[in-house]
Amino acid sequence: MTILNTIHRLREIGVLGMNRRNAEYIMRSNPRSSFPLVDDKLKTKQLAEAHQIPTPPLYHVIEHHGDIPGLEKVLSGHQDFVIKPARGAGGSGIVLVKGHTLGGFIKQNGEVILTKDLTYHISDILSGIYSLEGLEDRAFIEALVHPDTVFDAVTYCGVPDIRIIVYRGVPAMSMVRLPTRASDGKANLHRGAIGVGIDMAEGTTLAGVHRSGVVTHHPDTNKPVSGILVPHWERMLLIAAKAVDMTGLHYLGVDLVIDQERGPLLLELNARPGLQIQIANQAGLLRRLELIDKAPPEIFETPEIRVAWALETFSARILN
Amino acid sequence: MKRPAVLLAVALLILSFALISYRILWLKYPILPAAPAKVWQLSMDASVKGSEKETTVMIGLPSTQKGQLVVDVHIHPGTLSFNLLREGPNQIGVWSGPISPRGEVIRYSSTIQVQPQRLHKIKPPNLGPYPKHTGETEQKLATRLVATWNPLPPTDRLRRIAAAVNGFWGTPLPNAQELQAWSAFQNKYGRVTASLVLLRAAGLTAQVVEGLQLAESVTNTTVTWIEVWTGQDWDTLQPEKGEIYQKPAPLLPLTTGGYPAARILHGELSEVRWTLNRQIINQWRMQFERMMSSNRWLDRWSLFRLPEEFQTTFRILMLVPIGALMICLLRNIVGFPTFGIFLPVLMALAFRNTGLAYGLGIFWGVVLIGYVVRRWIDKLRLLLVPRLSVILTLVIACITVFALLGNKLDLREFMAVGLLPFVILTMTIERFFVITEEAGIREGLWTAAGSAGVAVITYKILQLEPLQLTFFVYPELLFAVASAQVLLGRYTGYRLLELFRFRRFWRS
Repeated sequence: MTILNTIHRLREIGVLGMNRRNAEYIMRSNPRSSFPLVDDKLKTKQLAEAHQIPTPPLYHVIEHHGDIPGLEKVLSGHQDFVIKPARGAGGSGIVLVKGHTLGGFIKQNGEVILTKDLTYHISDILSGIYSLEGLEDRAFIEALVHPDTVFDAVTYCGVPDIRIIVYRGVPAMSMVRLPTRASDGKANLHRGAIGVGIDMAEGTTLAGVHRSGVVTHHPDTNKPVSGILVPHWERMLLIAAKAVDMTGLHYLGVDLVIDQERGPLLLELNARPGLQIQIANQAGLLRRLELIDKAPPEIFETPEIRVAWALETFSARILN
Repeated sequence: MKRPAVLLAVALLILSFALISYRILWLKYPILPAAPAKVWQLSMDASVKGSEKETTVMIGLPSTQKGQLVVDVHIHPGTLSFNLLREGPNQIGVWSGPISPRGEVIRYSSTIQVQPQRLHKIKPPNLGPYPKHTGETEQKLATRLVATWNPLPPTDRLRRIAAAVNGFWGTPLPNAQELQAWSAFQNKYGRVTASLVLLRAAGLTAQVVEGLQLAESVTNTTVTWIEVWTGQDWDTLQPEKGEIYQKPAPLLPLTTGGYPAARILHGELSEVRWTLNRQIINQWRMQFERMMSSNRWLDRWSLFRLPEEFQTTFRILMLVPIGALMICLLRNIVGFPTFGIFLPVLMALAFRNTGLAYGLGIFWGVVLIGYVVRRWIDKLRLLLVPRLSVILTLVIACITVFALLGNKLDLREFMAVGLLPFVILTMTIERFFVITEEAGIREGLWTAAGSAGVAVITYKILQLEPLQLTFFVYPELLFAVASAQVLLGRYTGYRLLELFRFRRFWRS
């Protein structure tokens, strides 16, 4: 009986489970043909640029093993940069470089990586080690984001990013992902980063989730994670809302970073966003998705109207 | 959205059950093929001494008829030739030929299932003649003796006659002179003939049956009883004991209608020994022969028609989809991670040769050795495909070492290791490494444990012989499995582990 009660309670709160997410939202809203647009970060980048959505500047693309020898010259021209596999999943294969050193580079976490190790890493990327299906891949080098200082107190060595779940073009739920020592400066929850929910209406942070437990303070910096006002909030919601029109995917996780100078930048899109965001927000996503499905058709007309409707509807204060 | 899937699932289920019902209702397949059936193992052996002329031995043999099913018949004719004759309701085994001076032993054995009879109308038989060797005087005497019982219902008449043959005539007692005459007749011809005459005189149809008592026994004597038609069915009267049985009587008929159970022409039959043993076999074996000789479409397309050596493979294959179903259950209902769908199924198949303990041990051994080597190889900067090849070579090397060790230690289980799915093991090592690198060793071990767990469950299912047999007899059960898989594919409820994952919500 307790299991049935639990199921009933979760349903009442409107928690979205993995099976329902896959069957009712991803399979129904996301046409298979559009997946390549988000599975390949380079394609996403080009698409975003075509739609005037800002992304971190692209420095260089490496398509073949033969391109690797000329790479050193390219890299010497940039003080700091990021190397990414175009089809990498879950943040794997990404190397953040913040400076040069003799015979190598300094990584974000302070470790030194030798040039030959870095080129080996790139050749790994090209052979498809980090790619979703093990297919041959492309590596690209883009500008290292200098994150806005707003999250400095609750970030350990890395770039925090903001995840917004958008359904039918309406932002439904969001969180900021804070790197920890355990996550090696990466903002992926399954690597140990903290997810902190954001109140949609206010743009302020709520409590956080760390390895499926709720936390109020960052484990490394010991500063409270809640009550931080996220800058450029509405602008980010708007970018997220536009990402749907751009890709034709109607259930989407939009990942953004806030650069000190450039403001919000689109990092990547995710056609299968995770469910941890619900714990970070202490709110059920299913309930919000159902509200969106019940909304009058006129609110879907433009991204601006959709964001306005979301701000009005998904305030943590109103919902809880 | 859900409806087409549910409709498909229902259609598959109906198809499956329609075929099974057809087999059960029309082709009389057992509902539970693997369920135990209580049967009798009957065997007969007799030694025959011959004469100058060609000897013929005739033995009444039980045949499949209402109330009993006879299968697995084995006949040992020795140097004689064997024929099966049908004489009315009787099936007579005829052994014939010249017999060497040393004599000859003939043997017969079969498996008999006594089935509960269904109530159905049997056409009432005609009243037959009096026994051949009785005279008119006795017939008239008998008619006078039973005259007072004629108004009684058949079962009562039978009861009175059974008692009378044992000397209890009841009231009113017949005239003493007639009684004496009757006793003289009964003493001369025996109780069986006496009963037959009285029954005929009372207007009851009866037949003599010779057979065996259904009890664990070794005997060289048959028993004779009388079957009497009492209006609905044949009741059994054992004149020697004066007992009446309603069906089913604990008797196994060999011949009916006064035909002797064992007879010999030109020779001497000594020691006809009948042995009856209770046995338990599965229901299916009773149907097997009938199915094999049947011309029905589903019988002809049965998996049993495959050559023996391929049947074993299919016994296992039929259960593999259940293994896949288990993986669906574990992943989508429970939420447990596994390395894909194929590894656990292939591991389960390999366990059949290595055994569970060795199989699991070897699995963990190879994965851990592979993991250690994979970690080390990471430093060598090998490209993807060559690196996987190295791991594959390593896996093969491990398997070879295991096999050689098995040979030295005389462990067959180790030598069977070559059947482990090595390509899958290679991919598992790679996936295990990637998961431990990305999500930590805990997640990797958790996933490996999940895979091993499903492999064990699948293996246990594959080893269930009753299930193997059931799927082999009813391959259309695969449709039912597919139906369950389709339904699971549309299950959008919470996974059990999600209840734990989202415990924050319902605890508050």
